[in-house]
Amino acid sequence: MSNCDCGCECGEPLKLGQKVPEFTLETYEPTKGDFGSFSLADQIAKKRWTILFFYPADFTFV
Amino acid sequence: MGCDVVTVSTDTKFVHLAWREHEKELSKVAYPMGSDPTGTVSRMFGVYGEDNGLDLRGSFIINPEGVLMGSEVNFYNLGRNIDELMRKFKANVYLSRKTNEGCPSKWKDEGDKTLAPSAKMVGRVHEALND
Repeated sequence: MSNCDCGCECGEPLKLGQKVPEFTLETYEPTKGDFGSFSLADQIAKKRWTILFFYPADFTFV
Repeated sequence: MGCDVVTVSTDTKFVHLAWREHEKELSKVAYPMGSDPTGTVSRMFGVYGEDNGLDLRGSFIINPEGVLMGSEVNFYNLGRNIDELMRKFKANVYLSRKTNEGCPSKWKDEGDKTLAPSAKMVGRVHEALND
């Protein structure tokens, strides 16, 4: 998986203390009832903390 | 607190919309629900399941400079404790301001006892925590 030259650790997952490469995600925003996007670059520009919460699948339990 | 929570799964944003609007347990959800169907971001954080296309239960705390400060990953059937996540988040925020202090395991919120490591404390942590 070391076939990218973007300067990020493509083959290896991130480690604590590492700068997270900028990324964006398409989103659904319940407060707007519409789609949007999340960008880590925006968070850094606004000086805000981010908590990313991954989970397996919608419509499941736990 | 200057923090944004974003949930992420490999479902599309359309499924997020349907789930959020259908499931009453989610009626209070106000945070953006991120979609990572190709697993690109999930792989960056080491939570993508190559054999099933589903993300592990991973939580990651990123500071305002974009540095990864905390992580917790559980297997698919083990839910995370949100109180603990909030405790770690608050501790990270506090320690970003008090860089010479440490939050002991019982620390829960600002105002709780912290440690200021120094040569004097070596072998005397009990006294430091209990005086």
